[in-house]
Order: sequence, then C-alpha cells, then structure tokens
Amino acid sequence: MSTPQVLGELLQLPFLQRALLAGLLTGALGGVLGSFAVLRQLSFFSDALGHSALLGITAGILLGLNPTVVLVPFAVLFALGVDRLASRSRLPADALLNIVYSSSLALAVLVLSRVRSYRGGIEHLLFGDILGVSWLDLSLILLLLIGACAYLYLSRRSQILLTLDEPLAISRGVAAGRHRLLFIVLLAVVVAISIKAVGVLLISAFVVIPACASRLVSRRFPHYVLLASGLGAGCAVVGLLLSALLDLPSGPAVVVVQLAGFLAALALAPRGQGIGA
Amino acid sequence: MAAAILDVEHLTVCRDGATVVEDVSFSLLPESDTALVGPNGAGKSSLVQALLGILPRRSGTIRLLGHALGPRGQLPAAVRDRIAYLPQTLSLRGRIPLTVAEFVGLGFDRPGLALPWRSGTGRAAAVRRALGRTDSSDLADRLISELSTGQLKRVLLAFCVVRPRSLLLLDEAQAGLDSQATDQFHTLLYGLRRSEGWTILQVSHDLEMVRRTCDAVLCLNRSLRCSGSPDHALSPLQLERLYGPGYVPYHHHHGRGPSLP
Repeated sequence: MSTPQVLGELLQLPFLQRALLAGLLTGALGGVLGSFAVLRQLSFFSDALGHSALLGITAGILLGLNPTVVLVPFAVLFALGVDRLASRSRLPADALLNIVYSSSLALAVLVLSRVRSYRGGIEHLLFGDILGVSWLDLSLILLLLIGACAYLYLSRRSQILLTLDEPLAISRGVAAGRHRLLFIVLLAVVVAISIKAVGVLLISAFVVIPACASRLVSRRFPHYVLLASGLGAGCAVVGLLLSALLDLPSGPAVVVVQLAGFLAALALAPRGQGIGA
Repeated sequence: MAAAILDVEHLTVCRDGATVVEDVSFSLLPESDTALVGPNGAGKSSLVQALLGILPRRSGTIRLLGHALGPRGQLPAAVRDRIAYLPQTLSLRGRIPLTVAEFVGLGFDRPGLALPWRSGTGRAAAVRRALGRTDSSDLADRLISELSTGQLKRVLLAFCVVRPRSLLLLDEAQAGLDSQATDQFHTLLYGLRRSEGWTILQVSHDLEMVRRTCDAVLCLNRSLRCSGSPDHALSPLQLERLYGPGYVPYHHHHGRGPSLP
C-alpha cells in the first residue's frame, strides 16, 4: 500500500480524527497563549507546570478519579501558589520553580511506581497518548480556545502594555495584578487540558516553540500572535499524522515538527533578529 | 488660589521592606514645571511611581486632579486619561514585536475592553501628530526594540502627548538625548504648559536645565529636604545639605551643571 492510501485509511479512524482535531486546537491555543507567555518570561513557568502536573495525575489515580477532573484544579492551585511564592521570595524565580517541579515529579514517580496498575502507563503520561483523547476532552479544549481568544482579544491593549512594561501599564490604569493572575490561571488550565495528548514532559514546547518561531519573523504584534497560533496548529497536525503513519509517540513527533518550523523561521529571520539578537 | 493639580500629604513608601520615601508633602499648581532632584537612591523614581499607584504606599494621601488615589492605586479612568507617565525605560521592549506607531497608539486608547467595532477614528491622526511633535515621524514603522536610547525617549514622549493631558510625570526624560533633542524637548514642554495648560513634574539630574526651565524644585533624599524656587532650593548651601559635603557647588559662569556623585 502506498503512503496516501495508508493515510486515507488512517483518517477514517475516529480516534485519529479526534486526535487531529485535538492537536489543531491545542496547538492553536498553545501558540496564542505562548505568544504572551514567552514575552513575559513565563516559558519556564509553563515547563514547571507541565512537569508538576504528574503529581496531580497521580493524585487522581490514587483517588480513583478521572485525571482531567483532578488536573485542572491542581494546575490552577499550583500556578497561584508558585506565583505567590515567587513574588514573596528573594530567591530567583527559576530556581524556585526548579525546586517545586523536580520535587513534584520525584514524588509522583515514586508513588506511581507503587501503584501496580500504572507501572506500564508512565510512558503515556510522560509523552502523551493520542488514543486517550475523548469527545469530552475535545469540547473542553474548544471552549477553552474560544474563551482564551475572547479574553486576550478584548483586553489586547492591556495585554500588550503589560507585556511591554508593567509600571507603564499600571500608569495607564491597567489592573495589572488581576490580569497577571487571570493569565497564569488560563495558562495552567490550558496545560492541564492539553497534557493527555502531549504528555507532561513536552507540553511546554507547545507554548514556547511556535511563539519563538513567530517572534523571529514578525514585525507587527497581531501578525505575531496569529502566526504563532497558526504554526502551533499546523505543526501539531503534521506531527500527529507523522506519528500515526510511522507509529511514533505523538508528543515527541509534534515537537520535532515544531523544531523544524523554528529552524525554518531562524533561516528566514532578518539579520539581527535571530538567536544572537 | 487655584486648586492643586497634585496634592501629596505625609506620603511614606516602602520597597522590599525598606522605607524609600518618608513623610513627603507637597502640591503642584496648574501649569507649573517642578523638578524633583536628589542623589541616586534618594527615592525619586519610587515617589513618582507611588503617585501613580505603581508602588503601594505605606501611609499618606495623594490627590490627582482633585481625585483621591485609592489605597490600591485606583483612579477613575477619565482621570488616568489626563495623566501621562514617562518611565526611565521599558523593561521588556527588546522582546516584543511592536512598531512605534502601534506603541504610541496605546497611549491614545483607554486600556479597558476594546470591542472590534469601536476603533477610534481619531487614533491614527493623533499618533501621526504626536510623532510629528516629538520629531519622530520617521520612526513610525520601526520596531520599539530597534530604537536607540534617545529615540526611545522621543517615542515615549510621543506616547505621553498623543492625547491632551493635564499632568505629565517624567522620570529622567532627558537622559540620553543629544543637545538638539534636549532643546526641542524643552520647547515642546514649554508649549504644552503655556498653550495647553499642562502641569509637569520631572525627575532630573541636570541642575543647570532645572535652573533655566523649571519654576519650582523639590529636593528629595528619602524625605523632602527643601523645596521652593530654583534659586533658593539649588543654592550651594542647600545642595551641600542634599548631596553631602563632598559636593562641588554650581557656578553660574561655567555654563554647565556639575556632575553628580
């Protein structure tokens, strides 16, 4: 059978259709939020959030609950707690995040290794499982995408000012504290919802890589955000198709495609806009 | 007596647990140009930021254009619109892909919810006019990240003047400007005061400029050490009290301000 035929047959499979839709939506969502998160130096925050989510999933397994149900409140509480910790501590935020996420990850893996039913499942949790995406997950992601886009679009002036300089934003009357918390909560929920398809180790790539690629080639803010979400969605779909065709783990396949996109942007970037700038 | 544009009473501000501004009281009359001077670390920027609600205050009251600043920096949007702030620099400007024209437009808009069908028609014209007034028209399509320090100052000033204001707070606006740009800057400030009735409070290290252009001086070193006309507040005796005994007093005939410690 030729590759197009295999692809055609694969596309008939309902689980792959769901996975592709989930990839499309998750990728776009990651790109939109990422375009703000990256500029606000929240890349490592989303990474730590993803890694720590394994602890939330573990708690869900111990309690016998659907991981998504536990994960969303866990991620939100985690994000708010870390934000508060970072704003009160004199330690650098990245060091604090490292302490929190490595200890969460360690605890989670220790507990999971004791739970017989999940010994084989850790890999799925770490790298994502496209088979696991349900219609419920899909509709949640869609709702989240609509909500996030509406919020960021309507408050775009405040968001841009906040991303540029917080004191200047406050001087213009932007409620900086409220917007920062809302954005962090949004980021946490997106990470929590997307984790099933992408896995805890690679979820932050969805937030960081498309936005960085877009930043390299954009000179207008609206173009930057749109291109980031387009790249996020496109790379996710291509990566998932590759993973289905070649029987590769889905999360890593998507991230490799994102990397290709980033390298292409680097090649296209005007002089001085590249990594050295 | 005209009502004060800015009225500060017993203001105390803490930053990271340390008191950086202590029991400061002063007021600004309409159309006045007041300089805030003092050594490095005297709390000048913190004072300006507290006036805008950027830094929380420990105690004291602040009234801007007759409206009290709330304990958490709340101020009616209409009052915010009448106040402009020029920060020393923009913390993340190197990272954000934003053109000068887009940025100056943000100074024109109210930052609240922006519905797509309510885009202001006067916006583009106001942005062009502001860039023209600050001699930055040629920068309109440049990225904020590509600007030199002096160009950024001009663009920040355009951000401030893109809409009519009543009070302008400048934090070292002239630092990094060449002499031609500095002169244009003062001509513009003078015009804004005289023809549009703006009131100005500016943090400055250029004492010679302060003598020439400002009509009042506040000397700050955590607390207010002295205030009044430039001749009084910048007298050798007062400067020594403000900057310490190592300070070389200013001489009129040299024509240049002394460098500060």
